[in-house]
Amino acid sequence: MAVQKTISHRIQRQQDIVSYLFMLPMFIFFIGFVLIPMGMGIVTSLFNYTMSDFTFVGFKNYVNLFQDKVFLRSIKNTLIIVVVSVPLVTVFSLWVASVAYKSTSTVASWTRAIFYLPVVTGTVPVVVVWKWIFDKYAGILNYICKGLGIIDQNIAWLGNQNTAIWCILTILFTTSVGQPIVLYISALGNVDSSITEAAEVDGASPLRTFWQIKWPSIMPTTLYVVVITTINSFQCFALIQLLTSGGPVYSTSTVMYYLYQSAFTLYQYGYANAMGVVLAILIGLFSTLQFKTMKTNVDY
Amino acid sequence: MKKSAIVLLLIAAMVMPLFAQGAKEAAPAAQSAATTTITWWAFPTFGQAVPGEYEKSVIAKFEAANPGIKVKLETIDFQSGPDKITAAIEGGTAPDVLFDAPGRIIEYGRNGKLVSLDSLFTADYRKDVNNDELLNACSDGKTYWMYPISASPFYMGINKEMWEKAGALQYVNLQGDRSWTTDNYVKALKALHDAGFVGGSVYCGGQGGDQGTRALVTNLYDARIANSDFTKYTIDSPEGIKGLKLLKDLVDKKYLDAGTDIVASGELQLFSQQQIASTICWGTSNAKNYASKDFTALSVPFPSADGKPVLEYLVNGFCVFDNKDAARADAAKKLITFICDDKSVGPESVVKTGAFPLRSSFGDLYAGNDEYKLLASWTKYYGPYYNTMKGFSTMRTAWWNMLQQIFLGTSSVEQAAGDYVTKANAAVK
Repeated sequence: MAVQKTISHRIQRQQDIVSYLFMLPMFIFFIGFVLIPMGMGIVTSLFNYTMSDFTFVGFKNYVNLFQDKVFLRSIKNTLIIVVVSVPLVTVFSLWVASVAYKSTSTVASWTRAIFYLPVVTGTVPVVVVWKWIFDKYAGILNYICKGLGIIDQNIAWLGNQNTAIWCILTILFTTSVGQPIVLYISALGNVDSSITEAAEVDGASPLRTFWQIKWPSIMPTTLYVVVITTINSFQCFALIQLLTSGGPVYSTSTVMYYLYQSAFTLYQYGYANAMGVVLAILIGLFSTLQFKTMKTNVDY
Repeated sequence: MKKSAIVLLLIAAMVMPLFAQGAKEAAPAAQSAATTTITWWAFPTFGQAVPGEYEKSVIAKFEAANPGIKVKLETIDFQSGPDKITAAIEGGTAPDVLFDAPGRIIEYGRNGKLVSLDSLFTADYRKDVNNDELLNACSDGKTYWMYPISASPFYMGINKEMWEKAGALQYVNLQGDRSWTTDNYVKALKALHDAGFVGGSVYCGGQGGDQGTRALVTNLYDARIANSDFTKYTIDSPEGIKGLKLLKDLVDKKYLDAGTDIVASGELQLFSQQQIASTICWGTSNAKNYASKDFTALSVPFPSADGKPVLEYLVNGFCVFDNKDAARADAAKKLITFICDDKSVGPESVVKTGAFPLRSSFGDLYAGNDEYKLLASWTKYYGPYYNTMKGFSTMRTAWWNMLQQIFLGTSSVEQAAGDYVTKANAAVK
């Protein structure tokens, strides 16, 4: 009996070692390309780190950040993007998925393909198309709006401080809904039909069936969609970089874009890293809040 | 046990390529005892259809003449190239040779990332160039960081047919060196507007090609971007404010368009598509890239109050990064002098850049070309080269934001110019 136990322990240990060895390459990459850079980012945010200087300044970068009007504007813009895009993306993708999953498999596949297209197309081609749409001189949006009598003069949609951020949000929306729709179609398809059928037999309305049966069942997917959309919205950068450079008058400047500008245009690496730390804290806070408020409802 | 061995082998197969890659990269280091290998990062400045094509032919000639040196070429683009260079500098993987303009190069030099090129600026060389403004553009005032090869002015382009149709061409001086006045510029813009054309676009959606907007603003009433000893940015001067106010007025009257959503490339496309009647970002390279068969593009200097423009200009040149290896630095210097000074390769390289040689000994490389003869006559209008000033990067970022504030009316001209100068001057200290 004792011998058998020893052999069993040895096999278990061997299996553990093999498992860890499988994890090792990824673990090395994680340490080298995630943990160490994160640590370096935090440490260097306490330095006046430029191309020629590396002096310890304590929390000066952080103090300066909160006195920097452009940074504060960038935080405000980032929060607008998050607050608007996350609920919109979640609700819209849930609506599309709830319609699509009940359709024939051809319709569901087409829906997935159409909404997933902007995701796989890549940011640059998507931005080029949208740039044409918003173009002041030859853009189709001006053409339509003028045709409908909404405007009488062409508008520089991306060059106006009142419209630019909404243009960014529109593009972000189209590139963000693809993955949640695919996930929701899959999640709704996996809801146990015997429970929904039982509810329907008991006289529950479709709305009640959705809220009391389906919604709790797809809560893990919703949590994932909300957290991922929040993180992506916080890190909105490529659209800004390619379309507006943070303008006009900083109306589309986000924390990620300002961070990039500080590091790569102005060579203020320490200051940029301080922004990175603040952004990470913000994302962490939002994500924790989402986990806390949504997890209790998760019913596995 | 057998199973575990297979698993371990699989893991080894996954991990080994990483070490193999390291070994592969280590191999050239072993060769370096015999040959010195240097890396050349090149922006697409030689104007060929396939990036790197001309550079490769130069490298072949250079390696044939210098058997102990191997040159690895990497082409970069203007969009992502600058970020790549910054990342490489901080990551300790900077190239040995870079072909760029003084704005960035002097910044790298001032921050101790480059090898001094003072030894290349001999008395003979300086005598051959014989232009202090151009030579000063290669230095931070103490050390030469860039070895120049060619230079060309930035100027305006106008759509001859549009201007003719609008009756605006009468206001342009088409005689001599074509210099003209601000008053005539305003009259021409009014004529264009009355004829239903958009006179031009003052693009300010980002940094690209911002020298064009600076040249326009400063020339209108003879303002300067910086003071004469390059210690202060000065667009808040009465002349600067007057120029900015005129521009705002022209935009408000719709004589000009405020390009708050485009940069120079967008404006050049509008010019090429005949959506606007003039461009403020014309140059030898853009004149080639945005040429159109549908209209005639006339080159004119920027209009100025007294008819004597002060032109901005491009200086192309090379720098050598300090990779703490004297052999590589020497090899890099050999390469850049070969490209710039070799009797055959030097003039050929200058022509490929589409600009004018700095060395007078190269003679007239564009003999018989009237356009280039005209452009060469504008050398006398070259202004002080402020791109090597401290805080240049900060100033550039603040510049187009200032124009946006003015055109969109979020700040008064005085307020916007004051904020811009405060920001830019803070970076000079």
